Amino acid sequence: MAAPFEKYLEPLAIEGERDIVSARERVRDAARGLGFSAVELTLLATAVSEIARNIIEYAGHGTISLRLSDSGRNPGIEVVAEDRGPGIENIELALQDGYSTRRSLGMGLPGARRLVDEFQIESTVGKGTRVILRKWKTSTKAA
Amino acid sequence: MTEEELSHRMKVIQFTEEDVARLKKLSPYAREYAEPVIEEFYRHLLSFEEMRAFFPDRRTLDYVKRKQKEYFVRLTEGDYGMKYVEDRLLIGAVHEKIDLPIKTYLAMYAYYENQVASRLRAAFAGHADEAFDVFLSLIKLIRLDMILAIDAYSLRREQTIRQQEEAIRELSTPVLRIRDRLLILPIIGLIDRKRATQITAQLLTSIRNARARVIVIDITGVPVVDTDTANHLVQTVEAARLLGAQVITTGLSSEIAQTIVRLGVDLSRLNTVGDLQGGVEEAERILGYRVIRGEGGSSYLEAG
Ligand SMILES: Nc1ncnc2c1ncn2[C@@H]1O[C@H](COP(=O)(O)OP(=O)(O)OP(=O)(O)O)[C@@H](O)[C@H]1O
Ligand SMILES: [Mg+2]
Repeated sequence: MAAPFEKYLEPLAIEGERDIVSARERVRDAARGLGFSAVELTLLATAVSEIARNIIEYAGHGTISLRLSDSGRNPGIEVVAEDRGPGIENIELALQDGYSTRRSLGMGLPGARRLVDEFQIESTVGKGTRVILRKWKTSTKAA
Repeated sequence: MTEEELSHRMKVIQFTEEDVARLKKLSPYAREYAEPVIEEFYRHLLSFEEMRAFFPDRRTLDYVKRKQKEYFVRLTEGDYGMKYVEDRLLIGAVHEKIDLPIKTYLAMYAYYENQVASRLRAAFAGHADEAFDVFLSLIKLIRLDMILAIDAYSLRREQTIRQQEEAIRELSTPVLRIRDRLLILPIIGLIDRKRATQITAQLLTSIRNARARVIVIDITGVPVVDTDTANHLVQTVEAARLLGAQVITTGLSSEIAQTIVRLGVDLSRLNTVGDLQGGVEEAERILGYRVIRGEGGSSYLEAG
């Protein structure tokens, strides 16, 4: 496995639409700094956009933190999105294409999962949700 | 600023009851010196040409002088609560309004402090320790004022920036009418929900006014298309269709195209054409224009 994430960036508060834009710009800058390709940058920024929007949409507010790993052979970024919102009742369902409780496309979570190398989600009803995304400079996942 | 924040800041700068007591003892001196100190202060200030511009007329100058004299006395009257803070914020706002740069505002304190120090030295002759303590208390209070001034300035700045952003938003999505019945909408920059809504509304109005039949939406300048943006795009296209117009989307970068495919969003209902040029040609074809190549490479359009 790749090197551990040794560099923490200050968490970004996600409180409004504006912060979604800041979050994906920050991720984009970080990924560019690690030498990610234009495609990989866009994939990751879009995934971050999805989970940030879900924070606003369902939890109202939360945070997004970045951790970078740039000492190993394959640099990577870990994105942790956390909120103390209502949580997700059925994660398996939420991860299915087209499932949405607000009559939207329902492509956010499953889409974001396809855009990154590693995807984890933990959620407790009434407590909140944490989504972790990881992406490596050289993708470890077949396109 | 709230009561809580204020008491927190007081703690940070270690401003205590002891400081309050010391400052209150200065009150009679402050009354005595307010007039000469402030007069001298402004004489010094106005000796700099760049400063004079900020106080163009006597009335402004008299007003700030009077305020500053009140402030000078106020510094030694205790009760540094919310009312005090509000007054300070107001003074900050007044200075911001006349466009006095914050660095100038803060630099003014240096002269002020010097003035006060030399008066204190005279008033406490032979009691250097006491003078020093009192001066420190005063500096702490002035420090708080500087923090408040910076707050007031940056708040105003933020408001200004937000207003400008709004203005840019509206300007940045021009709907161009390039031929009869043909509109081009170049979208540049990040699209958030508010902007997407604005763009759609603007486009629909333009379609009505121009009785447009074909619209080319160019998204070359859009760096990220997530499900929400894609959804908006699809909805805009549907709405345009209801008004009897067709939409051609151009400028999808290969990165964005790859991302959309992986996201799994279905954009098959969009009529996408590689670049703007191709999009316009396609639009002209739909409208029945024929491109006639003339001699010497010139070309012109003929309605068919
Ligand atoms: N942070 C969260 N807190 C609570 N519920 C969430 C959170 N994120 C997602 N969900 C739930 O999971 C469902 C699926 O999310 P997903 O992002 O895939 O789709 P969507 O947000 O409904 O639509 P889209 O993202 O395509 O516009 C949501 O409808 C919502 O019920
Ligand atoms: Mg979503």
